[in-house]
Amino acid sequence: MGDGNVNLPPGFRFYPTDEELVVHFLQRKVALLPCHPDVIPDLDLYPYDPWELEGKALAEGNQWYFYSRRTESRTTSNGYWKSMGVDDPVLNSSNKKIGMKMHWMFYMGGPPTGVKTNWIMHEYHLSDSGSSSSRSSRRSGHTKIDFSKWVVCRVYEQNFCDENDDGTELSCLDEVFLSLDDLDEISLPN
Amino acid sequence: MPENMSISVNGQSQVPPGFRFHPTEEELLQYYLRKKVSYEKIDLDVIRDVDLNKLEPWDIQERCKIGTTPQNDWYFFSHKDKKYPTGTRTNRATAAGFWKATGRDKVIYSNGRRIGMRKTLVFYKGRAPHGQKSDWIMHEYRLDDNTVDSNVSVSVSNTIVGEGNQEEGWVVCRIFKKKNFHKTLDSPMRSSIITAETGSQMLSSCNEGALEQVFQYMGRVCKEDYSDENNTMPRFLRTIDTAGYHDGSFMKLPSLESPNSTRSQNCYRPVIADHNDVGPSSNQVSNDPNLAYHIDSGLTNWAVLDRLVASQLNGQTESSRQLVSFSTDPSMSYFGPTDHHELQLPTVGSSSSNHGNSQEYNSEIELWNFTRSSSSMSSSDSLGHVVMNGAGA
Repeated sequence: MGDGNVNLPPGFRFYPTDEELVVHFLQRKVALLPCHPDVIPDLDLYPYDPWELEGKALAEGNQWYFYSRRTESRTTSNGYWKSMGVDDPVLNSSNKKIGMKMHWMFYMGGPPTGVKTNWIMHEYHLSDSGSSSSRSSRRSGHTKIDFSKWVVCRVYEQNFCDENDDGTELSCLDEVFLSLDDLDEISLPN
Repeated sequence: MPENMSISVNGQSQVPPGFRFHPTEEELLQYYLRKKVSYEKIDLDVIRDVDLNKLEPWDIQERCKIGTTPQNDWYFFSHKDKKYPTGTRTNRATAAGFWKATGRDKVIYSNGRRIGMRKTLVFYKGRAPHGQKSDWIMHEYRLDDNTVDSNVSVSVSNTIVGEGNQEEGWVVCRIFKKKNFHKTLDSPMRSSIITAETGSQMLSSCNEGALEQVFQYMGRVCKEDYSDENNTMPRFLRTIDTAGYHDGSFMKLPSLESPNSTRSQNCYRPVIADHNDVGPSSNQVSNDPNLAYHIDSGLTNWAVLDRLVASQLNGQTESSRQLVSFSTDPSMSYFGPTDHHELQLPTVGSSSSNHGNSQEYNSEIELWNFTRSSSSMSSSDSLGHVVMNGAGA
């Protein structure tokens, strides 16, 4: 994906923090600056179902990244995204708010009666005052709407713990074993 | 700090924004460790050598930085833990504490072929046996001694094999700080929302984080390979006979290493027998039966169950105490699916009754003898034996 100019040894993956997504990708996109590496494609107002993102968005593991635009309703051919009603501020390292992270869930079918799925989307957009690139145009007035409506999205299918034992976290079972290690004085038949 | 400059990746712009070192277990073993043990050059020196006896976990964190981006885990090569022929377990001790193995090792596969093992260790501050458990976890990955042929793993179980040249015995390690399960929802990968069907299948009325995930997990963990020579688990827990598992209606039980054991049976029937003839009412261990689980046939891992029971009896692990109640009432040896106040075992067949179950089975093996345990288990008197019967057929 992208220009293929990322040439890293095995084991390096695209796992951006919220701050990195906003600072290194969204802010630069909005400011029309080149992103390096240019790995996230632009799907605009994409009509794709989440499982159609493969090959279109940047895929990393079971996550997909792409740029899009802010919109009130995201309807696809087989369903729609519905807000989960959770908006988290994205802070930079000096605790300044630089953007917002919205959570969406994908529903199959039509809006009132759709069936919930495991597909989740994080949509990052710049906060109104957080973007240094729009300092000149302050609030309201003559803001270039097109650029300020860019968002960057992460889509993934929610998994359960047991499919996630990749070694980066204590597995569920080991968690129990660990909590029971205090009981090692019990003489197990050995 | 100056040492870090030797990592070429540590230069400012070597790792592009958004990228971090997040290798799979397969990559760690097949690429990095295999190159290390064969003295091949590794492109970027991202994994450094660490003497585990000299560095505390928080020092490793500093030494193994990659670039300037925040990290949740750190990687390094280390020498295999030295083991002495006497069999005494040696801890990887540092100035401030020691690493202690926990759980059981996990087999790492690559393309369906076994390539190595993962050991989990916990850092304790202080000196054994009175160390204080910390949140620092280490996963130590080792290659199988004979990885050319995938079928030779059995012969490796001899502990003498591979001890000769331990100077060349490298392992690759990942350390990280354990997260509380209740706090992991910020991670997109680790949320633990339970769908309706999964939740009702496994257990009901439980909102505790870790345990419910455990029970979900147990349905699959039995498929793993338990054959590890260094395992801290007792012998009978190491192998899981999956022959009887067809549709989830039968429980998978450990195959017992007993001459009477009938491994060829299609299924095993769990029976709890009371050998002490204590009245049923005194056998209720749980403080509050209403907190008990109803565990359906999805419960398949006896190892975990047994340890939970043990902890329950000991009354030391709070979570277990709250979550599991256990009864040795003989009338409960035949569990019905509708009683939500007792730990449920699946119902197999219809011939069981309140007593005399053992007559029907040709192999009754003592699985867990609590009376043999330490004297601290005051509440265990009433629970004499947990016996497991092979299905008679």
